[in-house]
Amino acid sequence: MEHTMRLRFRRGDLLALALVLALAAALAFALAVQAAPAAATVQIYLDGRLAAELPLNRDTVYHADGRYHNTITIRDGTVAVTASDCPGGDCTRSGAVSAAGRSIVCLPNRMELRLVGGASDGVDVVVR
Amino acid sequence: MRSLRLAALAAALALLAGCAAPTAAPAAAQQRYEATFLTLFDTVTTILGYADSEDAFRQQAQAIHDELEVYHQLFDIYSDYEGVVNLKAVNDRAGVAPVQVSEPILDLLDFCLEAYERTGGRVNVAMGSVLSLWHDAREAALADPAAAALPDPAALAEAMEHTDLSRLVIDREASTVYLADPAMSLDVGAVAKGWAVEQVCRQAPAGLLVSVGGNVRATGPKPDGSDWVAGIENPDGGAFLATVAVRDGSVVTSGDYQRYFTVDGVRYHHILDPDTGAPARYWRSVTVLCPDSGLADALSTALFTLPLDEGQALLDGLDAEALWVDSDGGRFESPGFADSIQN
Repeated sequence: MEHTMRLRFRRGDLLALALVLALAAALAFALAVQAAPAAATVQIYLDGRLAAELPLNRDTVYHADGRYHNTITIRDGTVAVTASDCPGGDCTRSGAVSAAGRSIVCLPNRMELRLVGGASDGVDVVVR
Repeated sequence: MRSLRLAALAAALALLAGCAAPTAAPAAAQQRYEATFLTLFDTVTTILGYADSEDAFRQQAQAIHDELEVYHQLFDIYSDYEGVVNLKAVNDRAGVAPVQVSEPILDLLDFCLEAYERTGGRVNVAMGSVLSLWHDAREAALADPAAAALPDPAALAEAMEHTDLSRLVIDREASTVYLADPAMSLDVGAVAKGWAVEQVCRQAPAGLLVSVGGNVRATGPKPDGSDWVAGIENPDGGAFLATVAVRDGSVVTSGDYQRYFTVDGVRYHHILDPDTGAPARYWRSVTVLCPDSGLADALSTALFTLPLDEGQALLDGLDAEALWVDSDGGRFESPGFADSIQN
């Protein structure tokens, strides 16, 4: 009795283990996919650190305050740097972006905003 | 009993997972990652690639960053770095003494001499003294736009007298570089980024896209075999000028809309005509496609300072194509450029 119980336990354990592994694999994939959100999100980095994550579909204004100050405006599904006190103001002339993977940088402020998730226009990199 | 329950639970969970399975791609699919660095060559560096894990990609990107950083410090003419003999040290000793430098500086300067020859003198890294007058004027204008002013014409004319590249003396045996003209200085801004990207990408893993400023270079197609797609920015904003496919070559753009300042409504950018010592006025943007990123960088600068026919003549015989855009929105392509356009 004792012997058969141990056998049954092992067989069941193996089965369970196999199934749990299969589940883990499926879950891992689901989590990996989530790493790039399905909904378009604006990630704002200051000095390489993620300072904020904002949904592209909600109009808002965010102030990225580092060495300088960038005003980041999300409106109608696009995002732009609409004001900045940095020298040159290149960031404010970068226009509004909306496609996945696109970014706007303010070098003096060490700010990068990047669009993740959402629809891509098939362009991997912008040459400027 | 306990084991059976465990097995049943696992089976139920597996069913659950099974429901999600149809949407799952093969487990081997790699994730796409992107890394950005804002501290190299005074511009934006982006590395794109596919990897099994974020850690794996992070390692690749960091290795590329670290190599680029070495070049960044070696080719810098404005800052000193502890333990690094860079081009600033060479400039500082102009007319005084040869400076012993490391291999990459010798290699880059050899390439600069080659670029000077191949572009008929349109790319001259001995124009440092002229460029620094424009650089200082730009920095002052950005700091205080109301006081923006052009460099002093007499100072510019004087600096133009000290741009003779033959006064650059490279001694390979002794590993030294010497500027025989004390008033001359080197500025490798027109070629260094492209050259550095080329060196790094030759050693980098396949399937990456590296962009340093306007210098883009791919180290092979994406894992699914497709090309990378580069969108060439329109100087006036809006839709891309073109989208081009990049597999294992490079695309480089020079434009008048970067590194500029404005005086009395006129824009003064950073690409100088070597004949006049003033910003070249032919184009708003010139893009070059070419296997070698260093040559592409040099060519885009050269073409920016030449009219169309002379630029095209420069391209003839080279494995390179170009797209020119002028200030009236006029657009010109070299004969083979269209082959790279991705729709």
